[in-house]
Amino acid sequence: MSTTTVRPRATVSAPASVTRALVLAEARRMLLNPVPWICLALTTWALWTVRPEPGEWPGSSYEGITPAVAPLLFGISVAVAVPFHRARHDVAPAAPVPEAHRTLARLLAALPFVAVAAAYAVLVAWRERDLGGLWLGMEPGRTTEAFHTTAELAQPVALALVAVALGAAVGRRTSRLVALVPALFVLWFVVSVYWLFGMPSVTPFSVIQVQPLNLTVGPASADPLSFPSDWLLVGHPHTSEGWQRQWVSEALAWWHNVWLLGIATLLIAVAWPRSGRRALLAAGAVLAVAGLVGQQVVIP
Amino acid sequence: MNTALARAALPTARAIRWAPAAAVSGVLLAAAVLARATDGPANMLVATAAAGLAATVVSGLYDPAASLLAAVPVSVMQRRLLRLTLLGLPALAVWSVFDRLTVAQVSGPGPLLALTACGVAVALWGPPRNAVLLGAATPVVLCALPRVVPSAAFSDVVAWWLTDPWWVLLGATLLCIAGRRR
Repeated sequence: MSTTTVRPRATVSAPASVTRALVLAEARRMLLNPVPWICLALTTWALWTVRPEPGEWPGSSYEGITPAVAPLLFGISVAVAVPFHRARHDVAPAAPVPEAHRTLARLLAALPFVAVAAAYAVLVAWRERDLGGLWLGMEPGRTTEAFHTTAELAQPVALALVAVALGAAVGRRTSRLVALVPALFVLWFVVSVYWLFGMPSVTPFSVIQVQPLNLTVGPASADPLSFPSDWLLVGHPHTSEGWQRQWVSEALAWWHNVWLLGIATLLIAVAWPRSGRRALLAAGAVLAVAGLVGQQVVIP
Repeated sequence: MNTALARAALPTARAIRWAPAAAVSGVLLAAAVLARATDGPANMLVATAAAGLAATVVSGLYDPAASLLAAVPVSVMQRRLLRLTLLGLPALAVWSVFDRLTVAQVSGPGPLLALTACGVAVALWGPPRNAVLLGAATPVVLCALPRVVPSAAFSDVVAWWLTDPWWVLLGATLLCIAGRRR
Protein backbone atom coordinates (compact mmCIF):
# COMPACT_ATOMS: atom_id res chain seq x y z
CA MET A 1 0.00 0.00 0.00
CA SER A 2 2.80 2.34 0.81
CA THR A 3 4.02 2.09 -2.77
CA THR A 4 0.62 3.23 -4.10
CA THR A 5 0.78 6.34 -1.92
CA VAL A 6 4.32 7.18 -3.00
CA ARG A 7 3.96 6.51 -6.72
CA PRO A 8 1.87 9.59 -7.72
CA ARG A 9 4.44 11.98 -6.25
CA ALA A 10 7.22 10.13 -8.02
CA THR A 11 5.49 10.27 -11.43
CA VAL A 12 4.92 14.01 -11.12
CA SER A 13 8.53 14.84 -10.29
CA ALA A 14 10.21 12.09 -12.31
CA PRO A 15 10.21 13.66 -15.79
CA ALA A 16 11.82 16.90 -14.64
CA SER A 17 14.43 15.25 -12.46
CA VAL A 18 15.20 12.56 -15.04
CA THR A 19 15.49 15.18 -17.80
CA ARG A 20 17.78 17.24 -15.57
CA ALA A 21 19.96 14.20 -14.87
CA LEU A 22 20.10 13.41 -18.60
CA VAL A 23 21.02 17.00 -19.42
CA LEU A 24 23.89 16.92 -16.94
CA ALA A 25 25.19 13.55 -18.16
CA GLU A 26 24.97 14.50 -21.85
CA ALA A 27 26.45 17.96 -21.25
CA ARG A 28 29.41 16.42 -19.44
CA ARG A 29 30.00 14.01 -22.34
CA MET A 30 29.69 16.70 -25.00
CA LEU A 31 31.96 19.11 -23.15
CA LEU A 32 34.60 16.39 -22.75
CA ASN A 33 34.75 15.98 -26.54
CA PRO A 34 38.02 17.65 -27.63
CA VAL A 35 36.85 18.51 -31.17
CA PRO A 36 34.87 21.71 -30.39
CA TRP A 37 37.67 23.04 -28.18
CA ILE A 38 40.33 22.44 -30.84
CA CYS A 39 38.01 24.12 -33.35
CA LEU A 40 37.47 27.03 -30.94
CA ALA A 41 41.24 27.49 -30.79
CA LEU A 42 41.39 27.51 -34.62
CA THR A 43 38.56 30.04 -34.79
CA THR A 44 40.20 32.30 -32.23
CA TRP A 45 43.47 32.05 -34.11
CA ALA A 46 41.73 32.90 -37.39
CA LEU A 47 40.09 35.90 -35.70
CA TRP A 48 43.46 37.11 -34.41
CA THR A 49 45.05 36.98 -37.86
CA VAL A 50 42.48 39.44 -39.28
CA ARG A 51 43.68 43.03 -39.14
CA PRO A 52 43.37 45.98 -41.52
CA GLU A 53 46.27 46.16 -43.99
CA PRO A 54 47.12 49.09 -46.30
CA GLY A 55 46.18 48.30 -49.90
CA GLU A 56 43.61 45.67 -48.96
CA TRP A 57 40.26 45.37 -50.71
CA PRO A 58 38.13 48.00 -48.91
CA GLY A 59 36.29 46.07 -46.23
CA SER A 60 38.50 43.00 -46.39
CA SER A 61 39.13 42.91 -42.65
CA TYR A 62 35.48 43.71 -41.89
CA GLU A 63 34.41 40.81 -44.12
CA GLY A 64 37.16 38.44 -42.93
CA ILE A 65 36.18 38.37 -39.27
CA THR A 66 32.72 36.85 -39.71
CA PRO A 67 33.56 33.56 -41.52
CA ALA A 68 36.35 32.84 -39.01
CA VAL A 69 33.65 31.23 -36.86
CA ALA A 70 33.25 28.28 -39.30
CA PRO A 71 35.66 25.86 -37.52
CA LEU A 72 33.85 26.42 -34.20
CA LEU A 73 30.50 25.67 -35.85
CA PHE A 74 31.92 22.48 -37.38
CA GLY A 75 33.23 21.41 -33.97
CA ILE A 76 29.87 22.09 -32.28
CA SER A 77 28.02 20.08 -34.93
CA VAL A 78 30.39 17.12 -34.53
CA ALA A 79 30.13 17.18 -30.73
CA VAL A 80 26.31 17.29 -30.86
CA ALA A 81 26.04 14.67 -33.61
CA VAL A 82 27.76 11.98 -31.51
CA PRO A 83 25.11 11.72 -28.74
CA PHE A 84 22.27 12.04 -31.23
CA HIS A 85 23.80 9.21 -33.25
CA ARG A 86 23.96 7.15 -30.06
CA ALA A 87 20.16 7.45 -29.87
CA ARG A 88 19.92 5.25 -32.98
CA HIS A 89 21.10 2.22 -31.02
CA ASP A 90 18.52 -0.44 -30.36
CA VAL A 91 18.79 -0.10 -26.59
CA ALA A 92 17.54 3.50 -26.67
CA PRO A 93 13.86 2.76 -27.53
CA ALA A 94 13.64 0.47 -24.50
CA ALA A 95 14.79 3.22 -22.14
CA PRO A 96 12.24 4.21 -19.45
CA VAL A 97 12.30 7.87 -20.58
CA PRO A 98 10.27 8.96 -23.64
CA GLU A 99 12.27 9.76 -26.74
CA ALA A 100 11.05 13.36 -26.74
CA HIS A 101 12.51 13.89 -23.26
CA ARG A 102 15.82 12.36 -24.30
CA THR A 103 15.95 14.55 -27.40
CA LEU A 104 15.10 17.63 -25.35
CA ALA A 105 17.77 16.71 -22.80
CA ARG A 106 20.43 16.40 -25.51
CA LEU A 107 19.45 19.74 -27.02
CA LEU A 108 19.57 21.44 -23.61
CA ALA A 109 22.92 19.79 -22.94
CA ALA A 110 24.30 21.45 -26.07
CA LEU A 111 23.41 24.95 -24.83
CA PRO A 112 26.87 25.52 -23.25
CA PHE A 113 28.20 25.60 -26.83
CA VAL A 114 25.78 28.44 -27.59
CA ALA A 115 27.16 30.23 -24.54
CA VAL A 116 30.67 29.67 -25.93
CA ALA A 117 29.56 31.25 -29.22
CA ALA A 118 28.15 34.22 -27.29
CA ALA A 119 31.49 34.61 -25.48
CA TYR A 120 33.22 34.46 -28.86
CA ALA A 121 30.97 37.26 -30.14
CA VAL A 122 32.00 39.37 -27.14
CA LEU A 123 35.64 38.58 -27.96
CA VAL A 124 35.10 39.76 -31.55
CA ALA A 125 33.62 43.04 -30.32
CA TRP A 126 36.55 43.54 -27.94
CA ARG A 127 39.12 42.66 -30.62
CA GLU A 128 37.65 45.20 -33.07
CA ARG A 129 37.86 47.92 -30.43
CA ASP A 130 41.37 46.82 -29.53
CA LEU A 131 42.36 47.28 -33.19
CA GLY A 132 40.80 50.74 -33.15
CA GLY A 133 38.14 49.77 -35.68
CA LEU A 134 38.14 48.15 -39.10
CA TRP A 135 38.32 49.82 -42.50
CA LEU A 136 35.45 50.19 -44.93
CA GLY A 137 35.20 52.06 -48.23
CA MET A 138 37.67 54.29 -50.06
CA GLU A 139 37.94 58.05 -50.39
CA PRO A 140 35.75 60.05 -50.45
CA GLY A 141 33.44 57.55 -48.73
CA ARG A 142 35.66 55.82 -46.19
CA THR A 143 35.89 55.01 -42.48
CA THR A 144 38.68 53.49 -40.42
CA GLU A 145 36.48 53.02 -37.37
CA ALA A 146 33.95 50.43 -38.50
CA PHE A 147 32.58 48.04 -35.89
CA HIS A 148 30.19 45.18 -36.45
CA THR A 149 26.67 46.03 -35.32
CA THR A 150 24.94 44.25 -32.46
CA ALA A 151 22.86 42.26 -34.95
CA GLU A 152 25.99 41.11 -36.80
CA LEU A 153 27.63 40.16 -33.50
CA ALA A 154 24.50 38.16 -32.62
CA GLN A 155 24.99 36.08 -35.76
CA PRO A 156 27.56 33.65 -34.19
CA VAL A 157 24.99 32.87 -31.47
CA ALA A 158 22.26 32.16 -34.04
CA LEU A 159 24.79 30.15 -36.06
CA ALA A 160 25.68 28.12 -32.96
CA LEU A 161 21.99 27.22 -32.64
CA VAL A 162 22.02 26.13 -36.30
CA ALA A 163 25.20 24.10 -35.63
CA VAL A 164 23.55 22.35 -32.67
CA ALA A 165 20.42 21.64 -34.72
CA LEU A 166 22.43 20.46 -37.73
CA GLY A 167 24.51 18.12 -35.55
CA ALA A 168 21.30 16.78 -34.00
CA ALA A 169 19.59 16.22 -37.35
CA VAL A 170 22.57 14.66 -39.10
CA GLY A 171 23.53 12.56 -36.07
CA ARG A 172 19.99 11.25 -35.60
CA ARG A 173 19.28 10.50 -39.26
CA THR A 174 22.66 9.25 -40.55
CA SER A 175 23.31 5.57 -40.05
CA ARG A 176 27.13 5.77 -40.07
CA LEU A 177 28.89 8.09 -37.66
CA VAL A 178 31.99 8.11 -39.85
CA ALA A 179 30.01 9.67 -42.73
CA LEU A 180 29.26 12.73 -40.60
CA VAL A 181 32.80 14.11 -40.71
CA PRO A 182 32.93 14.84 -44.48
CA ALA A 183 29.29 15.95 -44.61
CA LEU A 184 29.61 18.47 -41.76
CA PHE A 185 33.01 19.66 -42.98
CA VAL A 186 31.74 20.37 -46.49
CA LEU A 187 28.56 22.03 -45.24
CA TRP A 188 30.28 24.43 -42.85
CA PHE A 189 33.32 25.23 -44.97
CA VAL A 190 31.34 25.81 -48.16
CA VAL A 191 29.00 28.27 -46.45
CA SER A 192 32.06 30.07 -45.04
CA VAL A 193 33.16 30.98 -48.60
CA TYR A 194 31.20 34.18 -48.20
CA TRP A 195 31.69 35.70 -51.63
CA LEU A 196 29.55 32.89 -53.08
CA PHE A 197 26.58 34.61 -51.44
CA GLY A 198 27.66 38.17 -52.22
CA MET A 199 25.02 38.91 -54.86
CA PRO A 200 22.04 40.78 -53.34
CA SER A 201 19.65 38.18 -54.77
CA VAL A 202 21.54 35.30 -53.08
CA THR A 203 22.52 37.00 -49.81
CA PRO A 204 19.21 36.30 -48.01
CA PHE A 205 19.76 32.56 -48.51
CA SER A 206 23.28 32.59 -47.07
CA VAL A 207 24.04 30.81 -43.81
CA ILE A 208 27.09 32.82 -42.72
CA GLN A 209 26.09 36.27 -43.91
CA VAL A 210 28.95 38.68 -44.45
CA GLN A 211 28.35 42.39 -44.80
CA PRO A 212 28.85 44.87 -46.42
CA LEU A 213 26.84 44.24 -49.56
CA ASN A 214 28.39 45.93 -52.58
CA LEU A 215 25.64 47.71 -54.52
CA THR A 216 26.49 49.35 -57.84
CA VAL A 217 25.44 53.00 -57.65
CA GLY A 218 27.04 54.59 -60.68
CA PRO A 219 29.46 54.23 -63.60
CA ALA A 220 33.22 54.66 -63.19
CA SER A 221 32.91 58.13 -64.72
CA ALA A 222 30.49 59.31 -62.01
CA ASP A 223 31.64 61.96 -59.55
CA PRO A 224 31.87 60.20 -56.15
CA LEU A 225 31.21 63.53 -54.40
CA SER A 226 27.74 63.54 -55.97
CA PHE A 227 26.75 60.54 -53.82
CA PRO A 228 25.37 61.09 -50.28
CA SER A 229 28.20 61.89 -47.90
CA ASP A 230 27.37 59.05 -45.49
CA TRP A 231 27.79 56.36 -48.15
CA LEU A 232 30.84 54.11 -47.98
CA LEU A 233 32.15 53.78 -51.52
CA VAL A 234 34.43 51.53 -53.51
CA GLY A 235 35.48 52.05 -57.12
CA HIS A 236 38.41 51.79 -59.51
CA PRO A 237 40.89 50.03 -59.22
CA HIS A 238 39.02 47.68 -56.85
CA THR A 239 35.93 47.21 -59.03
CA SER A 240 35.30 46.85 -62.73
CA GLU A 241 31.63 47.83 -62.49
CA GLY A 242 31.92 51.50 -61.61
CA TRP A 243 31.20 52.92 -58.20
CA GLN A 244 29.70 50.63 -55.60
CA ARG A 245 28.22 51.42 -52.23
CA GLN A 246 29.43 49.26 -49.33
CA TRP A 247 26.15 48.83 -47.54
CA VAL A 248 25.96 47.66 -43.93
CA SER A 249 22.52 47.17 -42.44
CA GLU A 250 21.64 46.17 -38.90
CA ALA A 251 18.06 45.46 -40.00
CA LEU A 252 19.31 43.02 -42.64
CA ALA A 253 21.42 41.25 -40.02
CA TRP A 254 18.48 40.97 -37.60
CA TRP A 255 16.24 39.50 -40.33
CA HIS A 256 19.06 37.14 -41.25
CA ASN A 257 19.16 35.97 -37.63
CA VAL A 258 15.41 35.26 -37.87
CA TRP A 259 16.13 33.17 -41.01
CA LEU A 260 18.82 31.28 -39.09
CA LEU A 261 16.41 30.59 -36.22
CA GLY A 262 13.98 29.22 -38.81
CA ILE A 263 16.64 26.90 -40.23
CA ALA A 264 17.58 25.77 -36.72
CA THR A 265 13.95 24.98 -35.87
CA LEU A 266 13.49 23.04 -39.13
CA LEU A 267 16.64 21.03 -38.42
CA ILE A 268 15.51 20.30 -34.86
CA ALA A 269 12.24 19.03 -36.37
CA VAL A 270 14.28 16.54 -38.39
CA ALA A 271 15.91 15.24 -35.21
CA TRP A 272 12.72 15.32 -33.13
CA PRO A 273 10.52 12.19 -32.67
CA ARG A 274 7.27 12.00 -34.61
CA SER A 275 5.07 13.61 -31.94
CA GLY A 276 5.59 17.35 -32.00
CA ARG A 277 7.50 17.35 -35.26
CA ARG A 278 4.75 19.06 -37.22
CA ALA A 279 4.60 21.99 -34.82
CA LEU A 280 8.36 22.46 -35.12
CA LEU A 281 8.20 22.24 -38.91
CA ALA A 282 5.43 24.86 -39.00
CA ALA A 283 7.26 27.19 -36.61
CA GLY A 284 10.52 26.76 -38.52
CA ALA A 285 8.87 27.42 -41.87
CA VAL A 286 7.18 30.58 -40.56
CA LEU A 287 10.45 31.91 -39.11
CA ALA A 288 12.45 31.04 -42.23
CA VAL A 289 9.96 32.65 -44.60
CA ALA A 290 9.66 35.72 -42.35
CA GLY A 291 13.45 36.01 -42.28
CA LEU A 292 13.72 35.69 -46.05
CA VAL A 293 10.93 38.19 -46.75
CA GLY A 294 12.34 40.62 -44.20
CA GLN A 295 15.77 40.48 -45.82
CA GLN A 296 14.32 40.93 -49.31
CA VAL A 297 12.36 43.98 -48.14
CA VAL A 298 15.38 45.56 -46.44
CA ILE A 299 17.85 45.10 -49.32
CA PRO A 300 17.58 48.18 -51.59
CA MET B 1 38.81 -14.88 -56.89
CA ASN B 2 37.86 -12.17 -59.36
CA THR B 3 34.50 -13.84 -59.87
CA ALA B 4 33.89 -13.71 -56.15
CA LEU B 5 34.86 -10.05 -56.13
CA ALA B 6 32.56 -9.30 -59.08
CA ARG B 7 29.71 -11.07 -57.32
CA ALA B 8 30.41 -9.04 -54.21
CA ALA B 9 30.16 -5.75 -56.09
CA LEU B 10 26.37 -5.45 -56.14
CA PRO B 11 25.76 -6.40 -52.48
CA THR B 12 28.61 -4.09 -51.45
CA ALA B 13 27.12 -1.24 -53.48
CA ARG B 14 23.80 -1.87 -51.75
CA ALA B 15 25.47 -1.93 -48.33
CA ILE B 16 27.20 1.42 -48.87
CA ARG B 17 25.23 4.40 -47.55
CA TRP B 18 25.04 6.71 -50.54
CA ALA B 19 22.96 9.52 -49.00
CA PRO B 20 25.86 11.36 -47.27
CA ALA B 21 28.00 11.13 -50.42
CA ALA B 22 25.10 12.43 -52.52
CA ALA B 23 24.53 15.30 -50.08
CA VAL B 24 28.22 16.26 -50.13
CA SER B 25 28.27 16.12 -53.95
CA GLY B 26 25.09 18.17 -54.21
CA VAL B 27 26.43 20.90 -51.92
CA LEU B 28 29.75 21.02 -53.78
CA LEU B 29 28.15 21.22 -57.22
CA ALA B 30 25.74 23.93 -56.05
CA ALA B 31 28.72 25.87 -54.67
CA ALA B 32 30.55 25.41 -57.97
CA VAL B 33 27.57 26.78 -59.91
CA LEU B 34 27.44 29.78 -57.55
CA ALA B 35 31.20 30.28 -57.92
CA ARG B 36 30.87 30.23 -61.70
CA ALA B 37 28.05 32.78 -61.56
CA THR B 38 30.07 35.02 -59.23
CA ASP B 39 33.31 34.49 -61.16
CA GLY B 40 35.37 34.60 -57.98
CA PRO B 41 38.68 32.89 -57.04
CA ALA B 42 37.75 29.36 -56.01
CA ASN B 43 41.02 28.13 -54.44
CA MET B 44 39.54 27.60 -50.98
CA LEU B 45 36.46 26.00 -52.48
CA VAL B 46 38.58 23.57 -54.50
CA ALA B 47 40.56 22.56 -51.41
CA THR B 48 37.32 22.05 -49.46
CA ALA B 49 35.88 19.96 -52.29
CA ALA B 50 38.97 17.76 -52.52
CA ALA B 51 38.99 17.18 -48.75
CA GLY B 52 35.24 16.59 -48.55
CA LEU B 53 35.17 14.11 -51.42
CA ALA B 54 38.30 12.31 -50.21
CA ALA B 55 36.88 12.01 -46.69
CA THR B 56 33.64 10.66 -48.14
CA VAL B 57 35.48 7.99 -50.12
CA VAL B 58 37.59 6.97 -47.10
CA SER B 59 34.52 6.85 -44.84
CA GLY B 60 33.13 4.23 -47.24
CA LEU B 61 35.76 1.81 -45.91
CA TYR B 62 33.64 1.36 -42.80
CA ASP B 63 32.08 -2.07 -43.07
CA PRO B 64 29.82 -3.12 -40.19
CA ALA B 65 29.87 -6.70 -41.52
CA ALA B 66 33.67 -6.92 -41.66
CA SER B 67 33.99 -9.62 -39.00
CA LEU B 68 31.18 -11.61 -40.61
CA LEU B 69 32.86 -11.46 -44.02
CA ALA B 70 36.27 -12.51 -42.68
CA ALA B 71 35.44 -16.11 -43.59
CA VAL B 72 34.67 -15.48 -47.29
CA PRO B 73 37.40 -16.19 -49.89
CA VAL B 74 37.98 -12.49 -50.63
CA SER B 75 40.74 -10.80 -48.65
CA VAL B 76 40.03 -7.74 -46.54
CA MET B 77 42.23 -5.61 -48.80
CA GLN B 78 40.29 -6.72 -51.87
CA ARG B 79 37.05 -5.80 -50.16
CA ARG B 80 38.52 -2.42 -49.27
CA LEU B 81 39.61 -1.90 -52.88
CA LEU B 82 36.13 -2.80 -54.06
CA ARG B 83 34.59 -0.21 -51.73
CA LEU B 84 37.15 2.41 -52.75
CA THR B 85 36.42 1.75 -56.43
CA LEU B 86 32.67 1.88 -55.95
CA LEU B 87 32.87 5.22 -54.11
CA GLY B 88 35.95 6.59 -55.85
CA LEU B 89 34.62 6.51 -59.40
CA PRO B 90 31.53 8.63 -58.66
CA ALA B 91 33.72 10.95 -56.56
CA LEU B 92 36.08 11.39 -59.52
CA ALA B 93 33.10 12.14 -61.77
CA VAL B 94 31.81 14.77 -59.32
CA TRP B 95 35.32 16.22 -59.02
CA SER B 96 35.62 16.40 -62.80
CA VAL B 97 32.38 18.39 -63.11
CA PHE B 98 33.40 20.58 -60.16
CA ASP B 99 36.82 21.18 -61.70
CA ARG B 100 35.27 22.33 -64.98
CA LEU B 101 32.85 24.69 -63.26
CA THR B 102 35.39 26.48 -61.07
CA VAL B 103 38.40 28.61 -61.87
CA ALA B 104 41.31 27.97 -59.50
CA GLN B 105 45.10 27.71 -59.41
CA VAL B 106 44.86 23.96 -58.81
CA SER B 107 43.29 21.65 -61.36
CA GLY B 108 43.21 17.94 -62.15
CA PRO B 109 42.49 14.92 -59.95
CA GLY B 110 45.86 15.05 -58.11
CA PRO B 111 44.69 16.67 -54.84
CA LEU B 112 41.64 14.41 -54.58
CA LEU B 113 43.69 11.24 -55.15
CA ALA B 114 46.48 12.38 -52.82
CA LEU B 115 44.09 13.15 -49.96
CA THR B 116 42.19 9.90 -50.51
CA ALA B 117 45.43 7.90 -50.41
CA CYS B 118 46.50 9.69 -47.21
CA GLY B 119 43.14 8.91 -45.62
CA VAL B 120 43.32 5.25 -46.66
CA ALA B 121 46.88 4.97 -45.32
CA VAL B 122 45.76 6.32 -41.93
CA ALA B 123 42.74 4.00 -41.97
CA LEU B 124 45.06 1.02 -42.57
CA TRP B 125 47.67 1.93 -39.99
CA GLY B 126 45.42 3.55 -37.36
CA PRO B 127 44.13 1.82 -34.22
CA PRO B 128 41.50 -0.71 -35.43
CA ARG B 129 38.66 0.65 -33.28
CA ASN B 130 38.72 4.15 -34.81
CA ALA B 131 40.79 3.50 -37.93
CA VAL B 132 38.20 4.54 -40.53
CA LEU B 133 37.09 7.56 -38.49
CA LEU B 134 40.70 8.75 -38.22
CA GLY B 135 41.21 8.04 -41.93
CA ALA B 136 38.12 10.07 -42.88
CA ALA B 137 39.25 12.91 -40.63
CA THR B 138 42.73 12.99 -42.21
CA PRO B 139 41.78 14.87 -45.44
CA VAL B 140 39.80 17.36 -43.37
CA VAL B 141 42.74 18.01 -41.04
CA LEU B 142 45.20 18.27 -43.94
CA CYS B 143 42.91 20.80 -45.62
CA ALA B 144 42.37 22.90 -42.49
CA LEU B 145 45.90 22.89 -41.03
CA PRO B 146 47.71 25.04 -43.65
CA ARG B 147 45.16 27.81 -43.14
CA VAL B 148 45.62 28.10 -39.41
CA VAL B 149 49.14 26.97 -38.51
CA PRO B 150 51.32 30.04 -37.96
CA SER B 151 54.57 28.42 -39.17
CA ALA B 152 54.96 28.98 -42.92
CA ALA B 153 57.41 26.08 -43.30
CA PHE B 154 55.04 23.66 -41.55
CA SER B 155 52.09 24.93 -43.62
CA ASP B 156 54.06 24.42 -46.81
CA VAL B 157 54.80 20.81 -45.86
CA VAL B 158 51.20 20.07 -44.89
CA ALA B 159 50.00 21.65 -48.15
CA TRP B 160 52.10 19.30 -50.30
CA TRP B 161 48.90 17.42 -51.14
CA LEU B 162 47.86 20.60 -52.97
CA THR B 163 51.19 21.71 -54.42
CA ASP B 164 52.84 18.32 -55.15
CA PRO B 165 49.92 15.89 -55.09
CA TRP B 166 51.51 13.14 -57.18
CA TRP B 167 54.46 12.71 -54.80
CA VAL B 168 52.09 12.59 -51.84
CA LEU B 169 49.97 10.06 -53.73
CA LEU B 170 53.05 7.93 -54.35
CA GLY B 171 54.16 8.03 -50.71
CA ALA B 172 50.69 7.29 -49.35
CA THR B 173 50.20 4.46 -51.85
CA LEU B 174 53.46 2.86 -50.71
CA LEU B 175 52.20 3.09 -47.12
CA CYS B 176 48.94 1.45 -48.20
CA ILE B 177 50.83 -1.37 -49.92
CA ALA B 178 52.97 -1.87 -46.82
CA GLY B 179 49.83 -2.10 -44.70
CA ARG B 180 47.78 -4.25 -47.04
CA ARG B 181 47.61 -7.17 -44.60
CA ARG B 182 46.46 -5.05 -41.67
